[in-house]
Amino acid sequence: MATQILPLELIDRCIGSHIWVIMKSDREFTGTLLGFDDFVNMVLEDVTEYETTPQGRKKTQLAQTLLNGNNICMLIPGSAGPDS
Amino acid sequence: MSGSPTDFLKGVVGKRVIVRLTSGVDYRGILSCLDGYMNIALEQTEEHVNGIVTNRYGDAFIRGNNGGYRSRR
Amino acid sequence: MDPSSTGIQEPFDLIRLSLSERVFVKLRGDRELTGILHAYDGHMNLILSDAEETIMIVDPVDGNFEGQGTVKVAKRKMEMLFVRGDGVILVSPPSRT
Repeated sequence: MATQILPLELIDRCIGSHIWVIMKSDREFTGTLLGFDDFVNMVLEDVTEYETTPQGRKKTQLAQTLLNGNNICMLIPGSAGPDS
Repeated sequence: MSGSPTDFLKGVVGKRVIVRLTSGVDYRGILSCLDGYMNIALEQTEEHVNGIVTNRYGDAFIRGNNGGYRSRR
Repeated sequence: MDPSSTGIQEPFDLIRLSLSERVFVKLRGDRELTGILHAYDGHMNLILSDAEETIMIVDPVDGNFEGQGTVKVAKRKMEMLFVRGDGVILVSPPSRT
């Protein structure tokens, strides 16, 4: 049987590194992944929040942040985010 | 794992936090407690919409399913 | 952990301590309620009496995103009310503010 990587295994390997999180809404986050749980609630550090509005993109710096897994759409490991 | 969401929440009880709802509304206050559904009780709560204080509550209960994310300040 | 003299150890304690008091409830869809809290459950379904509902209706002005449009406020009173929990955003005992 071919070795398969489970999605959550991939996220587990990202702990300690930079990650780009895209929410279901017009919001994105980048930061260092500190941990996550079975619901894919995530704790990030040194976070930048990007909010896309009709006026353009708004950036907000946050310290340690807990993201509710309910609202997460996509995760891009290793990426510095929309500015990269 | 020390960085897990549960540990994070245990660490921020009693601290000043921002709870941002999916609607973009912020609630800023002192986190008095929370439960497994992420229902949250805040003290000295300020409601912020677009950076403007729109309401103040002594105590506030925020229902879990509305919480987008929170961050420590 | 400091239950901060009020005896609140979990969020629902705040609701329990507000029974028989006038509470402020924020709902989805820019609706607000005040009323005397008679009962609640784990879904945050609520029974309120002597309730007043406030509805904000914003008519956006064309080409203006910052909400400078006219805001209409509608109010109505209800003797006894059941509120379905999934619409609840926030509950606060306004007397202590």
